[in-house]
Amino acid sequence: GLGRGLGRGRGLSPRVGTILLSPGPGWSCRAVLDEGHQRTVRRVAWSPCGSYLASASFDATTCIWKKQEDGFECVTTLEGHENEVKSVAWAPSGTLLATCSRDKSVWVWEVDEEEEYECVSVLNSHTQDVKHVVWHPNQELLASASYDDTVKLYHEEEDDWVCCATLEGHESTVWSVAFDRSGERLASCSDDKTVRIWRQYKPGNDEGVVCSGTDPTWKCICNLSGYHTRTIYDVAWCHLTGALATACGDDAIRVFEESASSDPQQPTFSLAAHNSPDWAVTLHCSASVLRTSVEAEPSRKKRPRVSFSRHMSLMARAVFPVSFLE
Amino acid sequence: MASPFSGVLQLTDLDDYIGPSQECIKPVKVEKKPGKAAAKIRIEADGSYFQINQDGGAQKLEKAKITLNDCLACSGCITSAESVLITQQSHEELCKMLTFNKTATPNEQKLVVVSVSPQSRASLAARCKMSVLETAKKLTAFLKSVHYVFDTTFSRNFSLLESQQEFVKRFRKQSEDKKALPMLASACPGWICYAEKTHGSFIIPYISTTKSPQQVMGSLIKGHFAEQQHLTPDQIYHVTVMPCYDKKLEASRPDFFNQEYQTRDVDCVITTGEVLKLLEQEGVSLSDVDPAPLDTMFGSAAELTSHAGGGSGGYLEHIYKYAAKELFGIQVDTIQYKPLKNKDFQEVTLEKDGVVLLQFALAYGFRNIQNLVQKLKRGKSPYHYVEVMACPSGCLNGGGQIKLDGESSKDQLQQVERLYESLKTEIPEKNRTVNELYEQWLGGVESEKAAKALHTEYHAVEKTSTGFNIKW
Repeated sequence: GLGRGLGRGRGLSPRVGTILLSPGPGWSCRAVLDEGHQRTVRRVAWSPCGSYLASASFDATTCIWKKQEDGFECVTTLEGHENEVKSVAWAPSGTLLATCSRDKSVWVWEVDEEEEYECVSVLNSHTQDVKHVVWHPNQELLASASYDDTVKLYHEEEDDWVCCATLEGHESTVWSVAFDRSGERLASCSDDKTVRIWRQYKPGNDEGVVCSGTDPTWKCICNLSGYHTRTIYDVAWCHLTGALATACGDDAIRVFEESASSDPQQPTFSLAAHNSPDWAVTLHCSASVLRTSVEAEPSRKKRPRVSFSRHMSLMARAVFPVSFLE
Repeated sequence: MASPFSGVLQLTDLDDYIGPSQECIKPVKVEKKPGKAAAKIRIEADGSYFQINQDGGAQKLEKAKITLNDCLACSGCITSAESVLITQQSHEELCKMLTFNKTATPNEQKLVVVSVSPQSRASLAARCKMSVLETAKKLTAFLKSVHYVFDTTFSRNFSLLESQQEFVKRFRKQSEDKKALPMLASACPGWICYAEKTHGSFIIPYISTTKSPQQVMGSLIKGHFAEQQHLTPDQIYHVTVMPCYDKKLEASRPDFFNQEYQTRDVDCVITTGEVLKLLEQEGVSLSDVDPAPLDTMFGSAAELTSHAGGGSGGYLEHIYKYAAKELFGIQVDTIQYKPLKNKDFQEVTLEKDGVVLLQFALAYGFRNIQNLVQKLKRGKSPYHYVEVMACPSGCLNGGGQIKLDGESSKDQLQQVERLYESLKTEIPEKNRTVNELYEQWLGGVESEKAAKALHTEYHAVEKTSTGFNIKW
């Protein structure tokens, strides 16, 4: 079944007191963590080592849970955001964590060997609600998506974190971002019904893109528009196959593939067929209306299989969020 | 418009988007008449509301009114109140007052006093490429329609002395009072507003009750100085020049409002940047102005002095040295600061025979304040005193300081620091005028008058949680 042999479970976002459904064969509910938060849990994230789970909540806190033999224990609660925390993400190094909130800020936290968490930086670059934060796959570079229509990137400079790039172009709220496997490209999805692909150009690049100082410049190299009829809430970039999946308010999941003859500076993506028998997806739905997850099984043919189950019609309008199992 | 307030203040629940349920959360008291529940309301053509009673009679309904003070105390839509505040306190207001004075009758005229902070002066000196002394003299000359120009370094002596005394008292009673230590600095209004709103009654007991130099000057000018000039407090218009905008909020605190004479201790706060705007408006280049002698009443005319311990006032430095002497008989001449995670978080330790006697820290900027408070909440703070400031790098880097073009902010700050530190430092205890004032104005160091004039209190702000303002 899915997830077998990969050593990672799936964190589902529980609402207080909600019992998780057993969604299908091979999956059973291991624990219900209902004593950490007072309001909606908006996002969960596993640490790279797999021993910790971070949960971001509308109660303005982020809980860190440690996996024990007989369940999970809340080892600490990160406070400081003024209001709803919208997202949480672990850096690949495992010692840094990022959170973002409706209070317009992005916080970077550091954890030491004694499991003590400290705030390393509070970034106030966005001018509106920050919806999502995502780390670069192999660098300590952080991306955030906001209601202010931009994506911002951050890195450490001397003893503080700074915003090193702002990606402008979307005409409305940016709901999510995803890096490709190499981290050279970033995909962002928005309320403006488009997905944009951005590429990093380092100083001295061959393409002649101008950079200021030592920071790379990010340029929009592709705009996928006309495919979605409503807000796109989430985007995921498969690190195995390079396919892009989107979760949209028009009740559909779409998968895009990059054309074989695609120019790296101007890539083209096409929508993979929906009804093709080659595509099958299993939807795991939790009782919480906000969360469904799409798991695309990497088959031997190296093509994710996507299909739409009847379950979808019972769910709320928004399909949100989407991620690829690796 | 990007908020000019310190980062710490900006994070205190300011949301520019005001949803329908957030417009105003102040409850309005209405006279409730006993009787049947449902009332009918009729709206007239002119927009006024009438309640129709059971017997058919109509009653005009009053409009709900909220005062600015109500607004400032609530954590709901304070963004709008703050912008009202900024417009009420600006260099334009000062100009209006000076213009008014020119044509007013002697009865209506106000004595205008300007108190300049040393940080603002250093920033102006850097911008105009002059020494701080030259800057002070030329600024005095420029503000010629102002009657007196003073330096808040003078009132800072009181803040330092009172903080020293307060710390030693708290240290001595730490076994009886669990919240005596750590004592947290009180001069920064960005920190105070954040503390009151976000941590309220948990953190307030730790905060020093000593007033900031701005407010001590306010008490001095509207109290002793007014008396000396044979004026009532409301006949003086007291302006301060400060390195940040948060000081404007401090000046409008109800605790610093004189009820009897209906006047504030500090009427108007203008930032260093606003002074520059004033200069530009008048088409004056400060370096071209002929210097005027400094006002001698508070402080010495011969030379300007400063205090040791950095651009934010030197609270840690003074309290540490005083406490070491007073509590342990140890004379400290130079302090070794140990930077921790970042340059805005530094530690100072007094050790003897391997035992830690005093452990102090500097915590500037929001992330360090955040970590400090969280450690305190978990009972893991090892400090006896922390000099807390909202702005990274302290007051010299305040939000109201002048930004120089063409230079990196790091170089600019270094220039301002150098100018600030170019003055000779003095020890508060040795200032003769300060000692005289303790006697003449306050009737002694431990007097009730001193406690009232030099100390203040803090108020936790009630948080309101409205479930309606969720934005997915």
